[in-house]
Amino acid sequence: MPQDIRITRDTPIGFELTGVKKKAAIQLMGSRLWGRFNPNHWDPVYAAETGLDAPIQTGEMSSAYLAEMCVNYFGPSVFTGARMQCKYVASTYANEVITTYGVVREKTPKGDGFRFRVEIWAQNEAEEKKTTGFIEADVDV
Amino acid sequence: MTPTPKTDSLRPMTQVQIDQERAFVKSLEEECETYWDMVSIGDVLSRDLEVTPELVILYADAVEDYNPWYEGWRMNEWRITGASPFGGAIVPPLMISHFVLSVQFDHTKPFAIGSIHTYHDTEILAPIPIGATIRITTTATDKFIKRDRRYVRHEVSVSDVRDDTLYMREVRDILSL
Repeated sequence: MPQDIRITRDTPIGFELTGVKKKAAIQLMGSRLWGRFNPNHWDPVYAAETGLDAPIQTGEMSSAYLAEMCVNYFGPSVFTGARMQCKYVASTYANEVITTYGVVREKTPKGDGFRFRVEIWAQNEAEEKKTTGFIEADVDV
Repeated sequence: MTPTPKTDSLRPMTQVQIDQERAFVKSLEEECETYWDMVSIGDVLSRDLEVTPELVILYADAVEDYNPWYEGWRMNEWRITGASPFGGAIVPPLMISHFVLSVQFDHTKPFAIGSIHTYHDTEILAPIPIGATIRITTTATDKFIKRDRRYVRHEVSVSDVRDDTLYMREVRDILSL
C-alpha cells in the first residue's frame, strides 16, 4: 500500500483526498454477492417496468468505493475505532462512472495525535452526488 | 424517443441466455410483505457467518478493491495466511455491513422487494481476521415516516463467536414500500 499519501498529524484542514474511480459495470452489479433476488440491480427490462431508467447499483458498492479511498489515506486506522457514515442520496445507474472525493473538515487533538473528520462523497461525471457522508479516524493517537 | 430496454441492452447475450434470464426473473416473483409490515420494533434477529477467504475475494472482486490485505486466497496457492498490518489477511472495512442485509431481512421469508438501503452509520472497532466466525445481531429500533416515505431503523452488532470480540456497530435505515 502506498505510504506517501497517508494522512499524517501534519495534514491540514481543507486537504483534499484523491479518490478512486469505478464504472458501474452491469456484470458486477449482477454478481451473486449482491443476492440477485432484486432484478432492479441487474435486469434492464425489470428496472424499466419499475420506473427506473436503468438498473441501479446497491448502495453498498458506493460505500465500498469510499472505504477503499479511506484505507488509502488512513491505513490501519480505518480498522481500529473509525466511524463511517454514508447516505445514499441518489441512485447510481449502470454504466455511470463514479469517483469518490474527500476533504478534511476537522482535526481534533486526541491522545498523542488527532482524530480527523473527513467529508466524503461519491459522484458521477455530471457531478451529481450519489452518496454523501463522513469518516472519523485517529492518526498517531 | 428512448428505446425500450431489452434483456441484452447492457451486455451481449444469445437468445438462449436471454431466455434463461427471463425465466430466472420470472422465478423471483412471489408474494411478499412490505418491509414495514414485516418488521416490529424490538425484533431481534441473529445469524453466524464464517468469513471464508473465498467469500472475501468474492466481495473484493465485486467492488474492484485489490488491496493485498484482504487476500486469504490466491490463485495457484489457494488458501493462504495473507498479510496485513494486523498479521494475517483481514476483512474489508464495510464488507460485513453488506451481509447485515441477510440478517435484518428474515431470510426464511420471501424478500421484501421494493426495499432500499438508504443510510448507515458504522463504527469499525477492530479488524476481523479472515477465517473468523462472526455473529451478526440486528435489533429493530424504530419505524418512522419522513417526507411521506416509510423507514425502518436497525441497530447492529458484529462480534466474534469464539471470544466475543466486538468488531462493528452500526445504525442503518431501510426505505420500505
